[in-house]
Amino acid sequence: MTVHEITFTLNGMAQSGMVQSHTTLLTFLREGLGLTGTKNGCATGECGACVVLMNGEPVNSCLVLAVEIDGAEIVTVEGLAQDGQLEPLQQAFIDHTGTQCGYCTPGVLISARALLNRNPSPSEDEIKDALRGNLCRCTGYKRIIEAVKMAAEKEG
Amino acid sequence: MTTKESSGPVGTNVKRIDAQEKVTGEALFADDLQFGPGLLFGRIVRSPHPHALIKRIDTSKAEAYPGVKAVVTGDDTPKQIGLYLKDRHIFCRDRVRYVGDPVAGVIAISEEIAEEATRLVEVEYEVLEAVLDPRRGMEADAPLIHPDLADYVVPDFIFPKAGTNIPNHFKIRKGDVESAWAQCDAIVEHEFKVPHVQHVPIETHIAIAKVDQRGQITLWTSSQSPFAQRNLIAESLGLSQSQVRVISPYVGGGFGCKAGVTMEALAVVMAQKVPGHPVKLRLTREEEFFTTFVRQGLIAKTKIGATNDGKIVAMRTEYYWDAGAYTEYGVNITRATGYSSTGPYEIPNVQADSYCVYTNHPVGGAFRGFGMPEIHWGIEQIIDLLAEEIGMDKAEFRLKNCIREGSVIATGSKMHPVGLAECIEKAAAAIDWGKDDPPSALHKKRGKGMAIMWKAPAMPPNAGSSAWVRFNEDATVTVGIGGQEIGQGTFTVMAQMAAETLGVPMEWIRVQGPIDTRYSPYEWQTVASRLTWSMGNAVVAAAADARRQVLELVAEHWDEDIENLDIRNGEVISYQSEETLPLKNMVVYGLPKPEDQGWRGGPIIGHGNFMPSYVTGLDPETGQGPRSVVHYTTGCQAVDLEVDTITGQITILRLAAAFDVGKAINPDQVRAQMEGGAVQGASVALFEGLRLEGGKLMNHSFVDYRIATAVDMPFEIIPIIVEVPQDDGPWGARGIGEHSMVPTAPAIANAVANATGVRILDLPITAEKVYLLLENRLQAGS
Amino acid sequence: MSASTDIAKNPAVLAMPSPGLPKFDYVRARAPGEVSALLAEHGDRARLFMGGTDLFVQMRDGVIAPKIVIDLKTMPGMTDIAFDARSGLRIGAAASMNAIAAHPAVKDHYPLLVEAIETVAAYPLRTRATMGGNLCNGSPAADTAPAALVLEAQCVVMGSEGEWTIPANEFFLHVRKTAMRPGEFLTRIDIPIPPEGWAGRYVKLGRNAGGDLAIVGAAVMGYPDKSAGSGYRFRIALASVAPTPIRVPAAEVLLAAQPISEGLLDEAAQLAEAAAKPIDDLRGTARYRKAMVRNLTRRALDDVWQQLQKER
Repeated sequence: MTVHEITFTLNGMAQSGMVQSHTTLLTFLREGLGLTGTKNGCATGECGACVVLMNGEPVNSCLVLAVEIDGAEIVTVEGLAQDGQLEPLQQAFIDHTGTQCGYCTPGVLISARALLNRNPSPSEDEIKDALRGNLCRCTGYKRIIEAVKMAAEKEG
Repeated sequence: MTTKESSGPVGTNVKRIDAQEKVTGEALFADDLQFGPGLLFGRIVRSPHPHALIKRIDTSKAEAYPGVKAVVTGDDTPKQIGLYLKDRHIFCRDRVRYVGDPVAGVIAISEEIAEEATRLVEVEYEVLEAVLDPRRGMEADAPLIHPDLADYVVPDFIFPKAGTNIPNHFKIRKGDVESAWAQCDAIVEHEFKVPHVQHVPIETHIAIAKVDQRGQITLWTSSQSPFAQRNLIAESLGLSQSQVRVISPYVGGGFGCKAGVTMEALAVVMAQKVPGHPVKLRLTREEEFFTTFVRQGLIAKTKIGATNDGKIVAMRTEYYWDAGAYTEYGVNITRATGYSSTGPYEIPNVQADSYCVYTNHPVGGAFRGFGMPEIHWGIEQIIDLLAEEIGMDKAEFRLKNCIREGSVIATGSKMHPVGLAECIEKAAAAIDWGKDDPPSALHKKRGKGMAIMWKAPAMPPNAGSSAWVRFNEDATVTVGIGGQEIGQGTFTVMAQMAAETLGVPMEWIRVQGPIDTRYSPYEWQTVASRLTWSMGNAVVAAAADARRQVLELVAEHWDEDIENLDIRNGEVISYQSEETLPLKNMVVYGLPKPEDQGWRGGPIIGHGNFMPSYVTGLDPETGQGPRSVVHYTTGCQAVDLEVDTITGQITILRLAAAFDVGKAINPDQVRAQMEGGAVQGASVALFEGLRLEGGKLMNHSFVDYRIATAVDMPFEIIPIIVEVPQDDGPWGARGIGEHSMVPTAPAIANAVANATGVRILDLPITAEKVYLLLENRLQAGS
Repeated sequence: MSASTDIAKNPAVLAMPSPGLPKFDYVRARAPGEVSALLAEHGDRARLFMGGTDLFVQMRDGVIAPKIVIDLKTMPGMTDIAFDARSGLRIGAAASMNAIAAHPAVKDHYPLLVEAIETVAAYPLRTRATMGGNLCNGSPAADTAPAALVLEAQCVVMGSEGEWTIPANEFFLHVRKTAMRPGEFLTRIDIPIPPEGWAGRYVKLGRNAGGDLAIVGAAVMGYPDKSAGSGYRFRIALASVAPTPIRVPAAEVLLAAQPISEGLLDEAAQLAEAAAKPIDDLRGTARYRKAMVRNLTRRALDDVWQQLQKER
């Protein structure tokens, strides 16, 4: 089986590594790099727990091959806070109880970050639609949506 | 504990203390723990048959596969395991009882190799007739799934029937139902069905086990029941409790599925084969659907009668629980639903028979509500039907019959103070009950419905809690508990109670995690919505103990009466001298005696525990007894919705949820539970259910088992807190976690019936069912 | 590769998807010739991939077990999206659904396509999912297929003898079977400029509101045409109700022949229902699907007809 050398930017830092062809980005992040904030929930791109940013756009990292990130910029939940400062979405999720068990939270935050990047003042329907690929079994979504709204207002 | 006024964080909307970790990705879940290169991986060989005898297992090819370290089978698990009824081998020995039953476990240097090698295990089966329906399972000629049922170890409140598929039959006989029908002006009788449902935590089950050279076991797992797991696994493996250590970090969603022993014991038995190596077993999403505990299926037959003035006179119920292959919690769900079978109504004549029936279906476990959502599906619809029959408003009918303080409930016990009527009134008002609101389009029909509920913690009478409270040098406080943070916010609420009791700022409190059975104080289980009440009492007692030690020390130091001292905002103050003394340092190092005559005090650590002492047994023939449960939490949901007659799709416009929580320690978190429960309840009501064909699960992925997403949630959720204090709850609090989804499905069904005239008796209320019933009616009418 | 097919089919073991992807070699394609050569060499043991959102799921399920996975999106032009006012839209087969839906020309000229794409799964999945892959899978439930059918897209296919073009309505042969021959692959989807004054709608029904596979999907487009008896022509296509996505010519003929009325739209919807040959599956019964074809087609026709009248 072939092994590939890849170079990429992870949470703002240039990095390189060796990956097997069939290793997914999710497995590479969690088991290759020990970056466990990104979660595995279904391995089929349905639950959204593994969503990360790839070149600024959200992807289900369980359905991306690690070899494909060669030359790409990856941002995971660990890369959202800068210099010890939480980013507005993270603060809003704390202030507004956007998290309960917390397992879906990293993926939700990344999907929400991507939404605010492409649409800084989304409507409620736009927020719901952007998050429909992130399953949450605890919160009922209400506070997640409110938290995204709050963060958008703060950033706007 | 006594109800007292709060001046600190109790009763306020303190932010979750675990939120910071969870939004940064730092919060550790079991799969995030690092074990180094010695880690091995396990995968499981599972039965493809619902019911078969194992004639032969050949593991030799798998054992010879490069990278495989060992293979385990039922030969390695001689003793049975089970929470109430010990009816299961960790790995099957002579018989498989559902599709997915574990037959062998392969341990290898990677998950891939272990997976590949599972396919090399040869198993020869003799396929047996399967039982796929509980009523079939009760027939005299049904194949026996557990021929040795009579020999199983069982506690004295569970009644297995030897030579049958019935591991428990619970009875209520109150008044005289048969002669009471004659007093009724209206009688309604129906059969309701509830399918099996999956919990769907976003974190699937995971366990990592390691056995040291002395045979001592450590198990890292996502668990609602670390202590129960320690106890059951130790017993099954012939060890004592202290030889097993269970460590459980944050749980990525529980809802009951990570209570009791599910798959954790598989990892332990595998680890016993490779001492010194941790063995990780994590379930795929598909395995989660196929093999973890499910909410049991139910067939409920109910007959109920009332007089024309709206008093319910009699109710007769039969529950046939599709318990599945084994019954970790099913036998006790059977019991709890039997004694709660009237729903929250005072009914003089009650007969209930709740049968737990083994089938060759997935194993029934605990699911948020512990049988209550299932039975309320029928109860709350038949109440609507009965109200219609006598022509009374459905809210009024409920108010007329619902339990109030002093009501005699089905077990003959007297009801404690309860705010159910207030819940009904407030939920109804929140959706403008009685007002005909127009639909948003011509092809839509709008309707309103409500359902009320009750639920008691269903647990052994002596389920206990304990806690310790320890001061650090800087006067921050570490609170030790054994109850788990599964998302419900218990760490935050415990911190609030400790801060309030001690008189220190909220920010000074740390709650010790992960839960570790070696160091954490004992807690029965994180189930039954019991932590705020039971563990809360233990934390308050521990904090009060620590506080007393501090005040005694300072009283002696100042030579003052302890009655004049208090701790406020982290300082001891004297109301007499108005002197203050910071807690910092003194709570660990003590205080010097005058004139260099030594020191007094020492590191302060308080402890406390709680266990209800007043729960009595019930008569096995009548189900009657002085006090069957610790308390009931009650509530009401009212739903305003629209049905699209072109597709049958349901849109929930408004959902009001009012629950009597005794006292909201953290109102914001209570509301969050009400919202989350409502959406989980709506998801189960509208979309969910296992599709089992010949015992095999057909919808075992998120593609085919749909749960509510952000675009499916109700447009507006209105949570309402009602507070009628619990006499033995901290500040009067009782639980709310599970209750919030109990009445959702029948409330929606009642609203759909109100909107369209069609009534769905079998869950889920899919768009297809609604549409086809509407079409049938149209065709019948034309 | 160790887990050969015979052990994968061990009947003593409950078959379930594996935790990770089975082993394979990843090859980044640089030129069509290279792809053709690899396909010729490896045959069934090689699979092409663009977004992977369907392929990897099937590989985990054990439905397919390729030894070589060839990444087509790395080839020049495969992710390009270009619009020309005369020739129309050219979509590289590996262009992501999100890139298509966000493209200004697609938004301006092909809102029906945007509407169809936005019903697929969820945004993060569509960062990777491609329209090309959606068509090549040959799934009857493909949401972009009805749009491709009513917009009369052309599928540009590369084979050993060079490029050739398959009209969308000849592209789908059966469940998971397209008109592409072994060794061929899709390079582009060309969509002509739609007729002047057109309007379109894609109505999809899933079990829940967000991102489900279609129980039924109905695309309708209509445009004024003086040569038609009604003064209008309509095109109707359906997903998830037959072994392939289908057009409904009978209804289209009817709507061109007679003056449009509520009754005629009803009749057209009934013809769509008659054309549907659905099955019972986990998403819905055939009976429900038939009724939904009628009702959703009717709803889409109504919306399109209202738009057409507004623009008059």
